[in-house]
Amino acid sequence: MSIGAYIVTMLQSGASSLASYLAAHVLLCLVPAFFIAGAMTALIPKEAITRYLGRDASPWISYPMAAAGGFVLAVCSCTILPLFASIYAQGAGLGPAITFLFVGPAINILAVSYTGVAIGMDIAIARIVLSIAFGVGIGLIMAFIYRRDDQAHNKASTENGMFSAGASIKRASVIFLLLLLAGLIVGTLAVPLLQDTYAHITLPLGDTARWQANLDWLVPHDSSQGQEGVSVQGVLLILQLVLIGVTAWVGLNDIDEGFNTWSWVALVLIALTLLVAALKFTPTPDGLVIGITGRFIGEVFVLGATAVVAWKWLDEYEVQEWLWETWRFVKQIFPLLIVGVFIAGMVRVIIPPGLIESLAGKNTVGANLIGVLFGVFMYFPTLVEVPIANMFLGLGMHRGPLLAYLMADPELSIQSILITAKIIGQKKTWVYVGWVTLFSTLAGLLYGAWVDGVSAWLLLLGLGSVLTMLVLVLWLIGQRFHRAAAPTGMVLHSPELDAEEPLAGE
Amino acid sequence: MDIKVLGSNCPNCQRLEKLVRNVIVEMEIEATLTKVTDFQDIMAYKVMFTPGLVINEQLVSAGRIPSKAEVTTWLVNALAAEEA
Repeated sequence: MSIGAYIVTMLQSGASSLASYLAAHVLLCLVPAFFIAGAMTALIPKEAITRYLGRDASPWISYPMAAAGGFVLAVCSCTILPLFASIYAQGAGLGPAITFLFVGPAINILAVSYTGVAIGMDIAIARIVLSIAFGVGIGLIMAFIYRRDDQAHNKASTENGMFSAGASIKRASVIFLLLLLAGLIVGTLAVPLLQDTYAHITLPLGDTARWQANLDWLVPHDSSQGQEGVSVQGVLLILQLVLIGVTAWVGLNDIDEGFNTWSWVALVLIALTLLVAALKFTPTPDGLVIGITGRFIGEVFVLGATAVVAWKWLDEYEVQEWLWETWRFVKQIFPLLIVGVFIAGMVRVIIPPGLIESLAGKNTVGANLIGVLFGVFMYFPTLVEVPIANMFLGLGMHRGPLLAYLMADPELSIQSILITAKIIGQKKTWVYVGWVTLFSTLAGLLYGAWVDGVSAWLLLLGLGSVLTMLVLVLWLIGQRFHRAAAPTGMVLHSPELDAEEPLAGE
Repeated sequence: MDIKVLGSNCPNCQRLEKLVRNVIVEMEIEATLTKVTDFQDIMAYKVMFTPGLVINEQLVSAGRIPSKAEVTTWLVNALAAEEA
């Protein structure tokens, strides 16, 4: 093949990836996910979570809250390190802070919904369950290893009072968030009720099947490798996205100073895009057949309800802040994602066929370790790990090592290791890195074994025994916590308490 | 009046700075607006999340962009406190 033809193939492969990325089902997942991320940042006071993370909080509360905080606060992995720094600096125990650091990138709303739609719900769920279990595990282990240092750190930071500040979430905000979540579920859930078509409209546009044939010629695709090509609907959606980009730029950039005409235009366009994405387009020689799906009807209801709740129950300023945070995430992440998807598509052509399959085609310890190491040494910006993983899957990677890679990539990169070292120190960081490597490999192995058909009960038993051990450690730390509190007869939140303990770490 | 915006180059920190500057101009009050960007200095105000807003060494908000009405209220209160 000549170099020119090779470049054309690469560009076509990149375009094909990008097209399937902008396809209807991905839009129905990512657009609501961005709005949910924005709403969480704007409407949930951060103190509502962080006040449970203090060193004086019981581990039964602080660890689950750290995991939940990963979901609510770290709506994208780009925000995790600054959040980790401030949580740790303001006096959270090392354990909960580490749990937060580990769980956040894996279970944030953008990553989970995108993984689910692009690769498969099974991997998304495995990622959530295993990250929470192992995140709490690593947090406990770190807290246990460095319990002495933690006391010293606690002494240094007890003066800080941010953790005790009270804050709660408005009920209207909760309903609003649930509605947005419903929009995401209606848009992505693969059940017949939503996928079935209930009515047809034929638009007399001439021979639309020819349009599709032309698109296929421009962007050839191979369905066996998970590529999708460009559909007529896809072209319409891409046009709408460009329009949204332009109108949102003038309409949402200064949204905190009030709505202007373009804000409304952008919002209406976004709703329309979601609705178009929910329809089913079938190009035929007689015209374009449009199917009204259950998804479309569901989205109409959810969008309507969202608008009503925002209008009636939220303050105007809350709505402005919500839109601003959403737009900020889109500006920050979307361009990176488009470039990342395109490059992943091009790289697919370069990697020799069979290489990935021979390295990580089977669920072995070595293969899982390779998945983890690749995640550590390659740095991909937020969410780009998903199209990369999808590419590996297309090239024959086993789902076990794939999960190991997905667990390790957002958690560990050279860059994040260096920053973490600045916050908690070199030694602790490398111990943390070691545990993450170990647990990610373990996660990949377990999940891979399940995919290969090993009895779920046997695996649950294995996972169960690991978890039992963790609970035991939790209980031991809890005991220590109570013993420390009991003799002095003081309330558990007393800062003087820990100052009396020997500070051997110093 | 001494007003400080805590936070480095995050987009929300820049927005808060702009907002506060606008309110100061609109209310025609005399105030010095400084931006605190050093991590240690920010931590000294016990702020967990930027942007933070400090009026006369008193932390009034952190982790979000307050509304224009809120900022105006705080400035009015601070003025009243100065005169008292």
